[in-house]
Amino acid sequence: MEIDVRRVGLTGLLVKASGRLDLDNAVEYGGKIKETIEDNDDIDELILDFAEISFISSFGLKVILELHKDMALKGSMKLRNVPEAIVKSFKMVGFDKFLVIE
Amino acid sequence: MFNTLKSKIIIIVFSMFITLVCVLTAFTCLYYRDTKYLMLEYVSKNVETQAQNINKELVKIEKNARSLALMGELYYKFDRNKSIAEKTVIQVFDNYPDSLGGGIWFKPYYITPEKEYDCIYVYRNKQGNIVTDYNFESQEYDYPQQSWYKEIMPHITKNHNIEWSSPYLEKIGSNSYMITAGVGIYDNNAKLVGISTVDWEIHAVVNAIQKIKNKLNLSNNCFALFAYPQKDYVIVSTDKFLDNDSIIGKSLKNVPWYNDNLINIIYFDYHGKKYTPYVKNLDNGMVFILCIPMWELFGKIFISTIILSIILLLLSVFLALMLYRVLSNNILKPIGKLIFIANKIGQGDNNIEIKIEKPKEFEKLASTFDKMTKDIKNITKERERIDSELAIAKSIQTSSLPDIFPPFPERKEFDIYASMIAAKEVGGDFYDFYFIDEDNFMFLIADVSGKGIPAALFMMTAKTLISNTSQMTKDPNELIELINQKICSNNKHGLFITMFAAIVNLKTGKMYCMNCGHNPPLIKQNDEEYKYLDIDANCVLGVIEDAQFKIYETQLHEGDIIFTYTDGVTEALNNQEEMYGEDRLLQCMNDCENDEIKEILNNVKDNVHKFTGAIPQSDDLTMLIFKYGSNELENKKAFASFATPINYKKFYTWLHEICNEWDLSEELTTKLDMCAEEIYANVQFYAYGEEKGMIEVSVTRKYGGIDVEFSDSGVKYNPLEKEDPDITLPPEERPVGGLGIFMVKQMADDVKYEYKDGKNILTISLS
Repeated sequence: MEIDVRRVGLTGLLVKASGRLDLDNAVEYGGKIKETIEDNDDIDELILDFAEISFISSFGLKVILELHKDMALKGSMKLRNVPEAIVKSFKMVGFDKFLVIE
Repeated sequence: MFNTLKSKIIIIVFSMFITLVCVLTAFTCLYYRDTKYLMLEYVSKNVETQAQNINKELVKIEKNARSLALMGELYYKFDRNKSIAEKTVIQVFDNYPDSLGGGIWFKPYYITPEKEYDCIYVYRNKQGNIVTDYNFESQEYDYPQQSWYKEIMPHITKNHNIEWSSPYLEKIGSNSYMITAGVGIYDNNAKLVGISTVDWEIHAVVNAIQKIKNKLNLSNNCFALFAYPQKDYVIVSTDKFLDNDSIIGKSLKNVPWYNDNLINIIYFDYHGKKYTPYVKNLDNGMVFILCIPMWELFGKIFISTIILSIILLLLSVFLALMLYRVLSNNILKPIGKLIFIANKIGQGDNNIEIKIEKPKEFEKLASTFDKMTKDIKNITKERERIDSELAIAKSIQTSSLPDIFPPFPERKEFDIYASMIAAKEVGGDFYDFYFIDEDNFMFLIADVSGKGIPAALFMMTAKTLISNTSQMTKDPNELIELINQKICSNNKHGLFITMFAAIVNLKTGKMYCMNCGHNPPLIKQNDEEYKYLDIDANCVLGVIEDAQFKIYETQLHEGDIIFTYTDGVTEALNNQEEMYGEDRLLQCMNDCENDEIKEILNNVKDNVHKFTGAIPQSDDLTMLIFKYGSNELENKKAFASFATPINYKKFYTWLHEICNEWDLSEELTTKLDMCAEEIYANVQFYAYGEEKGMIEVSVTRKYGGIDVEFSDSGVKYNPLEKEDPDITLPPEERPVGGLGIFMVKQMADDVKYEYKDGKNILTISLS
């Protein structure tokens, strides 16, 4: 899985990834983002670009929830370009109620 | 071979030729014979004339000789006045102009004892005057020693009989050959005292021969003989093979060809040639013979006859050939030409021109023939046009029926196959099938009454009408009534349609069907044998506008088959005029061991063809077979491996391959993906603790969805007992785990757990 993590603006972090957020990749994906956030205290906004994400499993959802919890303390998190199928999965587990989806 | 007109004509011409040749041959033979006879007559006449001339001369000579003898007797008896006697002799000679000379000779010393020679001799001199020659009364001449005297004297008889001498050469007078006629002179005592003689120059005979030769235009190959057979000597001979002078006066034995019987002979061979003798006996016993070579006599006649024959033969041949040519040109040639033309036309050459001018009858026949050819050409053209249009019509008709199978490859809930083998003529059979909505599938088979173009056209209309109407309503009753009404309103020519139609709900397997006067279909349900679907027959379509229809309703199960057909199947005839019939059809269907509907249908087709044999198909052979559920799908796939993170990739690749192969929807693929990952992860992380363990997965396809079964031999654990997370809680209060099994429950139609034979078995139904 290719994960592109870059700073945007003064305090923002944009993550672009492609592939499946599943058992295989979700831990790697979450780990890389968390590492970046911990290394950079000034980051208060996390933007996840889902344009290239084709599938999300419960492991992916678990990572998203963890990230959301972390960012709730620091600032905010939002998701961008989320495919319809993945929105469905968010709704199924009630994530649609708190996730900010642009 | 004698049956042909040609041979008959040849026979006729040939017989005519033979007859002509016979007639002409007879004619020529007669001609030859008559000409020959005429020739003989002519020659004979000429010879006769000349012979008569000689004879006359000789008779005169003899009379002269007798007169002289009388003179001599008078002289001797009476005055013995010599000068008077001489005058009298000259007077006598005057009366016989042919006599050259002659006289009276007395025996020596008979007139006077002192005078030895006493004779009176006169002759005709060159001027034609008769003069006395005294030279003979001399010692030099000594007439009693002359040959003629010696020859005649001994044979003299009384009564003035003539005695001829043989020829001799008179040296003193004319110096030519002559013969002398002598008569005795007697005294009163009947004692012979002397003779009277008259000389005849034999040159007269040569002249006579020359005359004949000239008259008859004969060559020197002819020869003549003048002889005195009684005394056996030759007088004149002109035979070129003999020394003629030396045989004068000699025996006839010197003439080789002569014999006494010549007068009866037609020809004799002499020196390699055939000669015809003409024999004339004279009054005094002499004979005149003329011999002419036969070739000279008849050669010309023979050659002219031969030439005439050849000319006539050639004329006959020419006439025969002309006759054959005329007959052939007027009969055989026109017939031959007509045969040739008829053959050409038979081979398809319609552009040939037929032209025969003579004879008139054939001209008429040819023009009739020509007209017939043109008519045939036009008729053929017209028929070819109609044939090709009919072929196109048939092709259009056939291609209007759906013939790509499977017609809906993405629909696995049923299978359908149909076939129509059109008879030579276009007919009114048709079948059709389509979805009237997502779940309801309609198929039908129908037969328009009648055959040919009307039936075909009506069939096209009806087919379109039915398929259009089918989209208007989903109620079978309403649908069939609507179809019937529309067909009625479009049917002005009293045609009608028999039809069997069925609407199947593919989801539920419920089938509504109706039979409008059509052959009862065969149905096979619940793995039982085929039987005829015995339902109330409705009225045929297109007759009663407000007709009511009874709809039959039945439940289909997977594997049930309906086989429909038209009367072309059951009414196919064999060479015994027997029909194939419903019993044979039922038997054939039940005997078929194949499950493939295409093979079932083809089996019926083969069976019907085997039954009819070489009898040509008289009606369309149309069949449609429908099967609920399908044998084609492979419904179950299995996977087994150690539940490790590395194997997870293999696992989901396998899953995706199945989804692609089965052509599952994207939604169903995503659901399966999520559920499968959740269960796999559970087994990987929890079932075997720190150990590695096997996971077995099987996916089963159902209509409209799939079942997935997971099993492992790990710790007994029922994930369904786990409490569902409260998804209404705010995020900060929510646990991060426990979502997976909840999502599985959410997505699945059904989830079951059982522990069996030491295995956790979780079955998830997705759709």
